[in-house]
Amino acid sequence: MNIELTDLTRRFGRTYAVAGVSMEAGPGVFGLLGPNGAGKTSLLRMMATVLPPTSGRMRLLGRDPGSHGPRREIRPRAVAAAVEQVGLGDKAKAKLRTLSGGMLRRAGIAQAIVNDPELLLLDEPTAGLDPEQRVAFRAILRGLGERATVVVSTHLVEDVGAACSQVALMDAGKVVFDGTPGELIARGEGSGAAGDAPLERGYSAVLAAARSVPATRSAAGTQRGPETWA
Amino acid sequence: MTGEGMDWTGSGSPSDVDLGRVWTGVAAEVWRRRPGPAERLAARLLRSPGLARALVTTPSLLLGWVIATVVVLAAGAAVTRSTGTPWVALFAPAVAGAGIAYAYGPGIDPTWELSQSMAVSDRMVLLVRALAVFGLNAAAGLVATAASGAAAAVTFGWLVPMTAVCALALAAATVSRSANVGVAAGMSGWAITVMAGQASAGRLTAAITDSSLVLPYLAFAACCGAVAWYATRIPRGAS
Amino acid sequence: MDDDALIAAVAAGDDTALRALFARHAPWLAARLRSLLSAADVEDVLQETFLAVWRGAGSYRPQGAAGGWLWGVARRQAALFLRRRGPAELVLPAVVAADGRQAADPAEAALSRVVINDAVGVLGPEGSPNREVWRLMYVEDRSVAEVAELMGVPEGTVKSRAHRARRLLRAALRGDPAAGGAR
Repeated sequence: MNIELTDLTRRFGRTYAVAGVSMEAGPGVFGLLGPNGAGKTSLLRMMATVLPPTSGRMRLLGRDPGSHGPRREIRPRAVAAAVEQVGLGDKAKAKLRTLSGGMLRRAGIAQAIVNDPELLLLDEPTAGLDPEQRVAFRAILRGLGERATVVVSTHLVEDVGAACSQVALMDAGKVVFDGTPGELIARGEGSGAAGDAPLERGYSAVLAAARSVPATRSAAGTQRGPETWA
Repeated sequence: MTGEGMDWTGSGSPSDVDLGRVWTGVAAEVWRRRPGPAERLAARLLRSPGLARALVTTPSLLLGWVIATVVVLAAGAAVTRSTGTPWVALFAPAVAGAGIAYAYGPGIDPTWELSQSMAVSDRMVLLVRALAVFGLNAAAGLVATAASGAAAAVTFGWLVPMTAVCALALAAATVSRSANVGVAAGMSGWAITVMAGQASAGRLTAAITDSSLVLPYLAFAACCGAVAWYATRIPRGAS
Repeated sequence: MDDDALIAAVAAGDDTALRALFARHAPWLAARLRSLLSAADVEDVLQETFLAVWRGAGSYRPQGAAGGWLWGVARRQAALFLRRRGPAELVLPAVVAADGRQAADPAEAALSRVVINDAVGVLGPEGSPNREVWRLMYVEDRSVAEVAELMGVPEGTVKSRAHRARRLLRAALRGDPAAGGAR
C-alpha cells in the first residue's frame, strides 16, 4: 500500500473541509471524485504535506510524511524521457509561451515525473482542456499509473472511468464510496438516478443516498446548499 | 525511465532492441541546454555549474530589473542635480533592499522548482545571489552619485546603511519565506530611519552622513545576517 | 517531407527533423546492425549513429541516396565501436562466426571483413614496423614495455608507431569506399 490514511480531518475555523477520511491505495491510478467543495483539494494538499491535518494519521509510501530523501540531480536523459512520455517530443525546444494550454499542462506533468516519483498527486488536471486533449491526457495518466501511484482529483466522471483502477467519491468532507469504477456503475443500475452514462448514474445514486441519510458524525457547522454538477 | 510516448517499433525493427531508449539517449544530447557565455564564465569562477545557473537566473538580476534599477538611480541623480538634496543616496539603499528580497525564494523565482533539484546548497545560492545583487547595486549607486555631483561624504555614506537595509530585507524574506515581506521590511525600516534622522537632526540626509551610526548599522546588519543564516538552516523542500 | 529535405533540416539545427528521420530509419538500421552486433551493442551504435547524423548532416549531398548515406554512418560508428572494444581485425569476423548465424546479409558481413582487413593492410605488409606494433599491442594485447622488449626498440618508438598505426587505421576506416552506395 502506497497510501494509508486513517481518520484524517482538516478544520478551518468551525468548518470541516475534510471530516474523517480513511482510505488505502496501492500502485495504479486512483480517482478522487466529487462535487466542488467536497474536500478533494484539501485532502490532496494534506497528502502533499503542504497542509497539516487537524487530526488523523497518514502514511505515504510506508513512511511518515515529512521525511525527505536527499536531493537528486536531474539528468538530461530523465528530462528527455519525461518529455517523450507526455508526448511533447516535437516541442522539446519550443519556448513555453508558444505552447497551448493542453501542452503546458503536459509540460507540468513532465516536470512532476522527471525524477521518477513513486507518488503523484494531480488536482483537477483536466480542467480547462477540450475533449480531445482530455482523451490524450487520460492516456498519459494510464501510462503514469504503471510506474507510480497517481491520485487524480476531478469533478468529471469520464476522467475516472477511462483511467482509474480505483475510485473514491467524496461529499461534504467524507468518503461516501470507495471501490472500482465497475462497482460504482453497479450502484447506479436500476436506481433511476440521473445521468447519461453508467458512471454518471452511479455517481448520482451514491450522492443521493449519502445525502438522504441524516448525518451522524457529520461535518460540524457546514451548511451546504444544493450542489450543481455537470 | 524509457522513452515511451511515441511508437518506435514500426516496420521491422528487431524485438530485442529498445528504440525508445536509443532515442532518449539521442534526445538527451540534442536537447541539452547550452549555457550562455555569462553562465560559463560564472561556472568557472564559482567552480560549480549549478551555482552559476542559480546566479544567472536571479530574478533581480534579470535585464528588466537591472534596467529599472538604473532608471530609478538615474532619476535620483537628475533630481539631485536640480534640487541639491542627495536623493540618490536615499534611493540606493531602498532599491538594493528590494533587489535582495527578490533574489531568492518561492513565488517570484521562475526557476524555484529547478533549484530544488540541483545539487547546490540553498545557502550558497542565497549567498552568491545576495552578493551579486549587492555589488551591482553598490556599483550603480556609486556611478549615479558621482554623476549627481554630490559631496564626498554623501557619495560613500550610503554604503553602510545600504548594507543594513539589505540585511534586514534578507532576514525578513528568509524568515517569512516571502519576498514581499522582505521588501516591505526593508523599505519601511529605511523610511523610518530617514524620518528619524530628519526629526532629530533636521536633515533628510542625517541617516547617511552621521558617522556615529556606522557601528550601529553594521551591528544591525550582522544580527540580520545571523537571523537569515538561521532561517535557512533547513533546506527548502518541506513546508 | 522526403529524406533529403529532412537531412537538410537537421543540418539547419531542426531537432524535430532528426526525430522524424529516427522514426523512419532507425528500425531498419537496427535490423541491419543486429546481424552484426548484439542487441545492447546495436542500441549503443544506433545512438552514436544518430548523434553523428545530428553533427554531420551538413556533409550530405542530396542525391536521393539518404538510405545509403545513413547506413554508411551507421557502419562507421559500428567499426569505431568495435575498435574501441578490442582488436578490430578479430572482433567482427569472430562475432559473425561465433554466433553461428549467417549474417542477414552475408555479402554485407563479408564486405565488412574485407573492409577491416584492407584497413589493416594500410599499415604495411606483415612484419613491417607499424603492422607488427599493431599486432602485438592490439591483437595480442601486450603492454608497451613488453612490445619494446620484443621488438628491441625504445618504448618511445613503440608509442609513436602505435600512434601512427591508429591514425592510419582511423583514416582508412573513415574513407570507407562503400559508404554512399545504394541501400
